[in-house]
Amino acid sequence: MSRVPSRARFGLALLIGLGVLSLVAGRLFPEALASTCPLGMDPTRPDRTVCELAFGGLWVSLAVGLAAGALSTLIGLAVAAVARLSGGTVEQALLRAVDAVFALPDVLVVMVLQLAGQSLSDAGAGGGLGPFGLMVASLALVGWAGPARMFRNRLATLESQEYVAAARALGGGGVHLLRVHLWPALRPFALAVFLSRLPAAILTESTVSFFGIARMEPMSLGRYLGTSYAALIYEGGGRVVLPAWALLVLLVLGASLASQALSAAPRRAA
Amino acid sequence: MRLVTQRLARQLVLVPLVAVASYFLMASLPLTTETDAKRQVSKELAASYQRDLGIGEPLGFMRPWQKLFRGERLGTSAQGITGDELLLKLSGSVGVGLMALPLALAWALGFALLRTRWRRGKWATLGDVVPAVAFGTPVFIPALLLAPSVVERGNMLPELCAALCTSVWPGIFLGTLVGDSLETELSRDYVRTALGKGLTYGTVLRRHVLPNVWPAMLDAVGPVATSLLAGSFAAERVFGLPYFGQLYVLAVLNKQVAVVVVATTTFASLLVLVSLAVEVLRYAVDPRSREATT
Repeated sequence: MSRVPSRARFGLALLIGLGVLSLVAGRLFPEALASTCPLGMDPTRPDRTVCELAFGGLWVSLAVGLAAGALSTLIGLAVAAVARLSGGTVEQALLRAVDAVFALPDVLVVMVLQLAGQSLSDAGAGGGLGPFGLMVASLALVGWAGPARMFRNRLATLESQEYVAAARALGGGGVHLLRVHLWPALRPFALAVFLSRLPAAILTESTVSFFGIARMEPMSLGRYLGTSYAALIYEGGGRVVLPAWALLVLLVLGASLASQALSAAPRRAA
Repeated sequence: MRLVTQRLARQLVLVPLVAVASYFLMASLPLTTETDAKRQVSKELAASYQRDLGIGEPLGFMRPWQKLFRGERLGTSAQGITGDELLLKLSGSVGVGLMALPLALAWALGFALLRTRWRRGKWATLGDVVPAVAFGTPVFIPALLLAPSVVERGNMLPELCAALCTSVWPGIFLGTLVGDSLETELSRDYVRTALGKGLTYGTVLRRHVLPNVWPAMLDAVGPVATSLLAGSFAAERVFGLPYFGQLYVLAVLNKQVAVVVVATTTFASLLVLVSLAVEVLRYAVDPRSREATT
């Protein structure tokens, strides 16, 4: 743990703290939060306090972000590994696919995937994916391109190191090199990539849910603000919007600090 | 020149790719069934779905575009759209984006200068915190905070407020990149030499440093344009602006699939146009890109 940069430790502590707080306050003991909330009742749901809805939403947003971030990192890692192991035309084709996915904004593609997924679910062909699973799958399908490019570049850099050349000269195959020599060096970077995907996934989910396209239940932060945005506009929603904003910012700050520090650490060490 | 052509071709191929992929995704949706009870959409929408997408017809994927170019309405009569209306709405969104661009540049310049100053003092942490705060602020949050003044009282231009809300994150992102690039260039020997020869700081910045910072800025223009256009979706929704973003969100919500196909492809085309413009601009202003491609 002493080798982990202090910024990364701070970021991870912030993330874990928010996760624990949202679990305890939003899911396990919401009544304790309801009785002490200084922000009063929600304008569109008079039986719930702003604190309950904000922390409940944070828990859902965090869960979506963690699942989608992990899945898109895994897909990106798999694509990068296949690209490097295959090389040549396959690698070029995969890189072009990455560029194509990268070119369109996440929000737009997730909206289209949500429309497709919801229509399939309504017709009973959704493969058992509920709104949560559908959102995670949609975010992973748009979010793998960034990790794939980062992993591919990092693998290419690692492969040029002498110890890899020595292992290759001793007869090590591509899969063996990847598993035994490259993966240990790639692990901290994989954590940094995952942490960098976390806020992107949470923000995309928030925006799509805000539009009312995703049917997230219980509500995420974006859906919470989206379901009552007309009331927020006409009644002045500062006391509702600001807590949700603060929680989103803290989440992104934690993930960004941890991700930047962890991805910079191996470079400094090298 | 061959490399530039290759890069342009790679960008252009995205348009038919998106058109075909979005068409086949939408055409495969089980929106219509024979029985009324199981149908997910109204009879009118189901009819427009089959009619507009030309399902079961040869070259059916051309049907939405044929209708659009003939001036016919895509989608249902109440929520559908014609080619002229699509262009009008697109120009509205592009207008908001163009208003947001100078604001983003102003944010970028301001933040880059502040970041350079903060780095030397006790405020260094702010240089990392501000981008995180800007990134952690989805466009709908400042829009919701501004909306009561704009929508209820009508004392500010909704388009300007939408542009303002949309410009924050792209501006800070651009500022971070420019700040880093500026700092790298300012620490180089040629700057010290130019200052040592008696040139003023402003002249060194204008004549020597900025030409080396342009490429970094141009690299960021693509993502910034995407952020501005995608961010305008949320701002248009909150401020009730009837432009392209609002059209897209309503088309998805109301399952106007032909409109979704056309709008997605149009949006991709717009992004490709921006990328092409950036490539041309890079070719014009960056001698290194010309040298690399000859």
